[in-house]
Amino acid sequence: MSEKTFFTNPAVSRVLGVAGAVLAVIAAMLPWSTFLLNKGAYPDKATLQFFDAPFELTGFRWELLIIGVVALVCAVAKVPAQRRVLRGLGAGIFAIGLINFGFIASAGGGLGAVTALDGTFAFGSVAALVAGVLLVLATIGQPLEEIPRWSTKLPTPVAYLGLVVSFAALLYVVSLTLTAGGQGGAASPYSGPMFLSFLGFAGGMFAGAAGLGVLKWISRLSEQHRVFSIVVLLLCALSLPFTDAGSEYWMTVAANIGVYAATAIGLNIVVGLAGLLDLGYVAFLGIGAFVAANLSGAAASQLGIHLPFYLVVIISAAIAGIFGAIVGSPTLRVRGDYLAIVTLAFGEIFQIAARNNIGGLTGGSNAMPNIPALEWFDGTAFNESITLFGAKLPSGVLYYFLIVLLIAAVMTVFANLKNSRMGRAWIAIREDEDAARAMGIKTGQAKILAFLCGAVLAGIAGAVFAHKTSTVSYESFLFMESVTLLAAVILGGMGSIPGAVLGASLLFVLPEKLREFSDYRLLIFGLALILIMRFRPQGLIPDAHRRAELAGEDAEGHTLQDKPGGDEPEQPKPQEVPAR
Amino acid sequence: MTAPILRAQDVTMVFGGLTALSEVSLTLDRGQIVGLIGPNGAGKTTFFNCLTGLYTPTNGQVLLDGTQLPSDPAHVTIAGIARTFQNIRLFPNMTAVENVMVGRHARMKQGPIATIFRGPRFRKGETDARTRAKELLDFAGIGRSGDELARNLPYGDQRRLEIARALATDPKVLLLDEPTAGMNPQETEATRQLIFKIRDLGISVVVIEHDTKFIFSLCDHVSVLVQGKLLVEGTPEAVRTDPRVIEAYLGKPPEEVQAEVQHAAELVGEHGDKGVGQ
Amino acid sequence: MTTLLQQLVYGLILGGTVGLIALGYTMVYGIVQLINFAHGEIFMVGAFGALATFTWVIPEGVKGTWYITLPLMVIAGAVVSMVIALIIERLAYKPLRNAPRLAPLITALGVSVALKEAVRIWYPGATAPLPFPKEFLTGSIELGSILIPKTGLLIIVVAVVLTVLLQVYINTSRMGRAMRATAQDPDTARLMGINPDRTIVLTFAIGAVLAGVAGVLYGVHINNISIDIGFQNGIFAFTAAVLGGIGSIRGAVIGGFVIGLVKTIAGQYFPGGTQYDYVWIFVVLIAVLVFRPQGLFGETERVRA
Repeated sequence: MSEKTFFTNPAVSRVLGVAGAVLAVIAAMLPWSTFLLNKGAYPDKATLQFFDAPFELTGFRWELLIIGVVALVCAVAKVPAQRRVLRGLGAGIFAIGLINFGFIASAGGGLGAVTALDGTFAFGSVAALVAGVLLVLATIGQPLEEIPRWSTKLPTPVAYLGLVVSFAALLYVVSLTLTAGGQGGAASPYSGPMFLSFLGFAGGMFAGAAGLGVLKWISRLSEQHRVFSIVVLLLCALSLPFTDAGSEYWMTVAANIGVYAATAIGLNIVVGLAGLLDLGYVAFLGIGAFVAANLSGAAASQLGIHLPFYLVVIISAAIAGIFGAIVGSPTLRVRGDYLAIVTLAFGEIFQIAARNNIGGLTGGSNAMPNIPALEWFDGTAFNESITLFGAKLPSGVLYYFLIVLLIAAVMTVFANLKNSRMGRAWIAIREDEDAARAMGIKTGQAKILAFLCGAVLAGIAGAVFAHKTSTVSYESFLFMESVTLLAAVILGGMGSIPGAVLGASLLFVLPEKLREFSDYRLLIFGLALILIMRFRPQGLIPDAHRRAELAGEDAEGHTLQDKPGGDEPEQPKPQEVPAR
Repeated sequence: MTAPILRAQDVTMVFGGLTALSEVSLTLDRGQIVGLIGPNGAGKTTFFNCLTGLYTPTNGQVLLDGTQLPSDPAHVTIAGIARTFQNIRLFPNMTAVENVMVGRHARMKQGPIATIFRGPRFRKGETDARTRAKELLDFAGIGRSGDELARNLPYGDQRRLEIARALATDPKVLLLDEPTAGMNPQETEATRQLIFKIRDLGISVVVIEHDTKFIFSLCDHVSVLVQGKLLVEGTPEAVRTDPRVIEAYLGKPPEEVQAEVQHAAELVGEHGDKGVGQ
Repeated sequence: MTTLLQQLVYGLILGGTVGLIALGYTMVYGIVQLINFAHGEIFMVGAFGALATFTWVIPEGVKGTWYITLPLMVIAGAVVSMVIALIIERLAYKPLRNAPRLAPLITALGVSVALKEAVRIWYPGATAPLPFPKEFLTGSIELGSILIPKTGLLIIVVAVVLTVLLQVYINTSRMGRAMRATAQDPDTARLMGINPDRTIVLTFAIGAVLAGVAGVLYGVHINNISIDIGFQNGIFAFTAAVLGGIGSIRGAVIGGFVIGLVKTIAGQYFPGGTQYDYVWIFVVLIAVLVFRPQGLFGETERVRA
């Protein structure tokens, strides 16, 4: 079946793998830039001469060293699914190389900056790129191995320990990711590339771990011990402020991400489960926020009442839900793309109304400022700093806690709805509406209910959002925000909860980190949408239902990738529906 | 002798200027299997669509157990008529069990509030539905494929799954639209046995088929549709030997038609393969 | 009375622009069932292409001579729009021809965002609205007390003429027949020897040319263009296409005129005035989709089981 080529020779693969890994380690110690960049030494002593201070590696060179050593171990030792692991690591190394190559070259000096200029040499990035390519080449000779399945039949204490360690590691990675590259802007001019490098590093390591079957093992283990996992995960999320990310700035960023993640999960009901495209979804977040602003005693509110927070949340959710049902009601008669347009129209109507300060409720272009902060029972305002377990936590941390609980609640609601009569009805409608009706599902009601549920969740998130930001303006609820939320759902994987959180995190962290590229933000965003739809329409963490689909697509994807070589053996396709 | 479970009276369906069905009547007694045959375009599927509320007949009425059927497919199913489709229409990205559990939808009573809080009654309802779904899969002979995605099932099993899903709605009447299209003789025979088993549960069945041999060996009563009109009805014996059927419907010596019908069924089968996964 | 008639004139002018864009929506949707969100941006790109031509290509000496400058700008706008549209079709939409329906729609959103941003970043000065040349073709025709700007009259005339030409082309030419056949049933069309890919490309090209022309005329009339003109006019145009019945050529243009009239009349007489005039267009859009989804001139869809 397989043609003999240079790369199918196991010895060649082995040599390529080891060479790539070694080269990556060397690249970590090479100089990367031929001159000092304008805004100071970049990145992290990257202008050092060869082996000048090899044990003081920091930043991306440190990351590169780690991933290189891991790759070396995996290339030499007989690890399971070696090619999968090496391919993942190689991609990560390539990404680190490419990001810094591009940044240094474009920040001045062009290609000279990353090769040779005025008698100085800096081949670090080139070496990293080559290392990445070599590692990937080492894996293309043979089809990728099956992902190994590790046993999850463990004594309970061992399983618990494994889960605690895994989630603690996850917390650590999240904290590192948040703080990687530091705060964007003037304080740290290179935060963008440093953050992206870290993403490349983390992505490579995760891909390697996925290849080893570790991620699947954790996910199966956590499904077996569902309650325990949820508790540990929740505790991990709540302890983020105790890590390096526990500064006021990062707490604010994390809280903002949290609001959008919760909203994205709500949108996931409509889009991911019921398969209805909603292009005006952010309006419900806005309705929740404006209702909360008016009921919480904001200075500009004409109602002049200040209800307790729990009442505000309930009323916001109810009003958003009513609007959700109204927006959803055309589904009784309108299908598919047309429905998307109806939702877009509703979203625009909301935005125009809010811009024009309809009924004095939205403040128009003056927004609704000075929404009072929430207060804890003892009168501590949520935007004050507190001391907990002897640790002084920054201000804003209480909002962070609140939002973590909000996400937990929203996730629970989503998961419960999904695995129920209602959730199955939604998925059935997504899959085949006529057949769903023939099964006795009142599809109109079900779809309106999907809109209603999604809107209620967004309304709750909106109420929290209003207090968190203390100012609510129509500018937070424009069409682009709807598109971004939709993109978060799609990027993460439709119908998948971790996907929605990951998608929202990426889409709302990146702009924060890439301030110096802020001019290109939307352009990159648009191009990313196109590329995702083209190459990974199922998203980063596909829903379990779609994962099986993905198995088929994955194999096809590789054959496509390999085709340009022309001499690649066609991979055996997994069993498809046999004809008769 | 009890009243018939399903009675269609003078059903007429007009699309624009085209009369697809003209005064077609059909009576289905309890525990009976009735076959509906006719050449392509005779209006068999249109008739099914009129019975299941997908179309509202221009004229005539359909009575289930003596009451007029509502004009919406969901309500028809709730009233007690379930169907399968000519081109298999499963929910491709749901597992087999979940497909059948969707069929339980109308027979479950769980509101959104109960769903969110998952009380003991909710859980019992869930467990019962799952158990019932597994029973039905076993009944249809595909009990072992419960956790497979519908789209990954072999073709014959997809047809069986569709039947199991229809049975999950607790129907009084089951309408099967070409249940053996594209099947080999063994699978066809297994389907025949399955339909007998369904009849033995007390469910009345209406079957559309091209395979006349299959119909004549299965049904208690056969109706022949030609160009939207009911040509002949009666026992298989009577229909098979009726000269009008041989002349008007078959038009040619029976053996030749048999071959053609077989061929047509194969074509439909190939087409049907694409049915799932679109 | 004068106010009403004057508003009607403005409505028709807006309607002409919207109608020209709507033709692209209606043709593309008719043939590939894609709501091409990026089509509004194609209109915007056309206007910028013409402005670039005026600024950097047309020699100083003839810039004031409208019968030389205007045709050159129109051609430039049409060409730029067409080239961009074809690149998009090839790179973004074509690979997704058999993907689930959400995929191309989201891709179209991405294309729309990317196009708009690309112009903002790389067209000099496009971060703010740019003045469009108005040296030529100024003044209005006076009809009693009503003023009809010459540029506006041009838009209306061009819209009507191009629509008639397009209708004739589609009804009588070989390619037009191929387009109609592909819209009805691409698989059968392929069996009949029609190359659906070529037909689709042609459809995109025609739609883009019309949008480009509309973009230039819009600029000449308003004397001011910005990167935001695409999205809003695109939504109006989509509304017009739906109102007229997706797939119907004359429907799209008549829908465009109706939309133009709704906006100006609503802005003048409805509560909220011009602040809320867009809302009425969206209300019309929703009402049409809910109560007459086949539009004014569309055929009823038949349910298939």
